[in-house]
Amino acid sequence: MAESWNWTRDSKLCFVTTGATAPFTALIESVLSPSSIQTLRKCGFTHLLVQYGSAKDVYDICSSAARLHIQDNKQDGEIIIDGMDFNSEGLQSQFKLVQKSKGLVISHAGSGSVLEALRYQIPLIVVPNIGLLDNHQEELAVAMERNQYLLRGDVQDLASAIRKSEGFRIKMSQFPPVTSGEHRETKSFAAIMDETMGFMD
Amino acid sequence: MAPPLSSLYTLSFALAVLTTLFVAASLRLLTILPNQRSKSTPWRKRPVATRVLVVLGSGGHTHEMFYLLRDLDTRKYTHRTYVVSSGDAFSAQRAVEFERGLEEREKQWRAEEERNDETANGKVKIEVTNEDGVTKSTQEETMRGERPACLGPDHYNIAIVPRARKIHQPLLTTPLSCLWTLYCSFTPLLRAPPFLPDQQPTTPYEAAAADLPDLIITNGPATAVIIILASLILRFLNWRGANSRSKCKTVYVESFARVKTLSLSGRLLLRIVDRFLVQWVELEGAGGRAEFWGVLV
Repeated sequence: MAESWNWTRDSKLCFVTTGATAPFTALIESVLSPSSIQTLRKCGFTHLLVQYGSAKDVYDICSSAARLHIQDNKQDGEIIIDGMDFNSEGLQSQFKLVQKSKGLVISHAGSGSVLEALRYQIPLIVVPNIGLLDNHQEELAVAMERNQYLLRGDVQDLASAIRKSEGFRIKMSQFPPVTSGEHRETKSFAAIMDETMGFMD
Repeated sequence: MAPPLSSLYTLSFALAVLTTLFVAASLRLLTILPNQRSKSTPWRKRPVATRVLVVLGSGGHTHEMFYLLRDLDTRKYTHRTYVVSSGDAFSAQRAVEFERGLEEREKQWRAEEERNDETANGKVKIEVTNEDGVTKSTQEETMRGERPACLGPDHYNIAIVPRARKIHQPLLTTPLSCLWTLYCSFTPLLRAPPFLPDQQPTTPYEAAAADLPDLIITNGPATAVIIILASLILRFLNWRGANSRSKCKTVYVESFARVKTLSLSGRLLLRIVDRFLVQWVELEGAGGRAEFWGVLV
């Protein structure tokens, strides 16, 4: 957390992760667009942290445009925008900060990030990258949304997903599921291993 | 006088031999494939030591695998072999971290248990002092009656097999490199190397480590298909009792990212593995055998 952040008890963080290796530039552009920024400010977010991966150039252009927009519309409240490239230690500290500040994570729909973020029980918006061929991101995002694990967003209209996320915190399902499926007995993988081996107890 | 051996060198005889071999091999395959073998071993008292072989793959597969294994009980699965492809330092690193995490978890449990003992067992202590010393020790034993956690470097190993197909490798040579991987896969399957070289197994744990794995867990990297194939060959030949002792049970878990269609590895292994698990209800019953028990990762 940077010194210039002025982090207080009332701060609320929106963390955006776009994938480290093949960054999703459309998501960076979308989240820094005037409509998203305005919605974030209305929802009481005070900080926006963007993990831009290797797309620093895109982030630099978009974030300076966004800062200009904020200065022009001061009445909507302050929001501090910051960026980071890649953290070799993972994103735990960012997710924890979101958890603490009752914030929001916006992520690309890679299963790795999704699985990690969900373990913090924080509202999560995933944005499938339609540009990728032979990719199951969209399918996964739809299935996850149907099970109330997360919200699905779209680069064309991220603002509506951000608005929805405010009420989502109370509705979201526990992940990993304690009980899931329709009236069926669920098993943990550890139990399936024991069953396969025939281990009692 | 017996006819000369050369009278057997005829096409029809060769065909007859081939047909016999083919029929025999097919019958053998039918008996070892999972339709004949029950999905799980009948309930039994758990043996002292069990070896499990975990096939790790590139980034995403490895990631999911360690989520799957998060509740691994080292008292039951006393030896873990992690198979990684050559050059996949990430997976090997993750395996070491996972094992370290298991040790940390055990330490925390121990600490908690001790704290609970101190606070809650004041009464027990008084009882014990009233009786003789023997009662005390037996009581403690029943409390700690469970088997020890099997942690640390002598309870796991990381085995490296050559990559089945290198990046940018031409398609033409892929079968060759796959065969090489298959050949090298037998090493980790047959035994985990002893902690000290040339050490003969003295404990049941070491014996289990030096034996075939009881369980093979995988979630779909290319190496997994080859390892499962190698285990099938061992069972086909009943090598060291691979089939008769019910060794090498296989569990395949389709990736969490697969919602509607099976992956290539999944389709290849669908009828070969003992248990085929999917994580989305849409795939339940795929190929007539996919099981769905909810999201597992």
